[in-house]
Amino acid sequence: MENSKELLLVHRSMENVELSSPVNIMLTPQFYTLKKELLPVKYAYQAKKIAYALFEGLLEKEGSYDFLVSQEEENWVFIAYDMEKITAFLKEKGFKEGDVSKVFFAQQSVEKFTKPCLINTKEALVILDDTVVLVPLGALGTDVSSTLNFDESLTPKKGVSLEGISSSIFTMKQTVMFSLVFILFSLMFFVEGLRYGGESQSTEEELQALYTDYPSLQSAYTREGIVDKYRNIDKAERAKRDAVKKLSSMIFKGVTLTSLSIDQKKVKANFSCSSKKIAQRVENLAKKAQFTVTKTKLKNDLHLEVTL
Amino acid sequence: MIWRRYQNELIVLGALLLMLSMYLYKQNAMSSQSGEVDRVTQSIEAINEVVALKKMWADKKINKKIEKIKVLIPASKMKWIKKNKKITARYTEIKPSELNKLITKILNTPVLIDKLDIEKTNASYKVEFKCRW
Repeated sequence: MENSKELLLVHRSMENVELSSPVNIMLTPQFYTLKKELLPVKYAYQAKKIAYALFEGLLEKEGSYDFLVSQEEENWVFIAYDMEKITAFLKEKGFKEGDVSKVFFAQQSVEKFTKPCLINTKEALVILDDTVVLVPLGALGTDVSSTLNFDESLTPKKGVSLEGISSSIFTMKQTVMFSLVFILFSLMFFVEGLRYGGESQSTEEELQALYTDYPSLQSAYTREGIVDKYRNIDKAERAKRDAVKKLSSMIFKGVTLTSLSIDQKKVKANFSCSSKKIAQRVENLAKKAQFTVTKTKLKNDLHLEVTL
Repeated sequence: MIWRRYQNELIVLGALLLMLSMYLYKQNAMSSQSGEVDRVTQSIEAINEVVALKKMWADKKINKKIEKIKVLIPASKMKWIKKNKKITARYTEIKPSELNKLITKILNTPVLIDKLDIEKTNASYKVEFKCRW
């Protein structure tokens, strides 16, 4: 798909361009530095690791270089290029964001430069010692009638993406990193969501088991009615029993229960105490237990009352 | 071809939207699950409460328990009237120890106490007790 695009030769003396669709570009040796080395390494990534050291002294110190490494027979071919400078040049020549799909180097198509390729009226690309070089036309002699037609058939297989010319906030590396993080979180949320769905099943099963045991309680309305009825009974009866329990805790030596009355609304009791001190103690206990205490006409007798 | 210019942003945005939608899915699953569990838990609690309350206040063995109250005090001191699910009992001349036993038994029996009157007469007690179930 990328290789079927128009291939444009980019050189220093080229005219400004105005493109309607994205193109691939091929850079002349004006934009890169080439070095061939016989190295005892097997893989390109190993060769790439030592690329910078190989170019020591050959590259401008202030440049920011990347390297394209490939193998040509026994030799490793290193192409050093400064993408910032290339991008700046392309912008200068009228390339806009999205105009460039892939960037290739003339050296990558070395075997296809079977004839001189004219780039203007003064210079041409030719092969010298298996290397694509730019030479003045004068150096070719007078016979320049047979030249190479530069078209997309010269497009190499492997190219470089041009990131700098696009207006992207994110580089490809950042894009991949952010996307992976987001996708990882998506998966976590999805799995968590699935898990929540399954958790309610056990409680639902418990409810179904209760419905089977008590089919009459399936209706919430019926349940509420029964619960209300028994809750009221439970509350009232517990209150009566609780009041009696509290009253019984007030009976000790010197205290006699003379009467007790329980009905639906109140609990009343009369205590006869043997002394004023004991009466006071009973009164304190009764007040603590929320009883209303009144003294009767009889000496040291107390009347206790509580509303249910 | 504008999208190509912003393809990196679009990829990141797509992944971000995917993450947000999965987050919303999780939140939705969580809240619906929590609502469903709440509803089911409430139903279970209500049923258990009904069962427990009915077991206590509509005890099927209540007649046996009432019978135990009846035999607690000698018949000579007691007038016992049982009508359907109601009891009216009157006790006279019962000793404090008998009163203790009687009251403890009544309070521990799951009946609705309509009336419980205790009155001291000299050294003994007079009791009137009305209940239903």
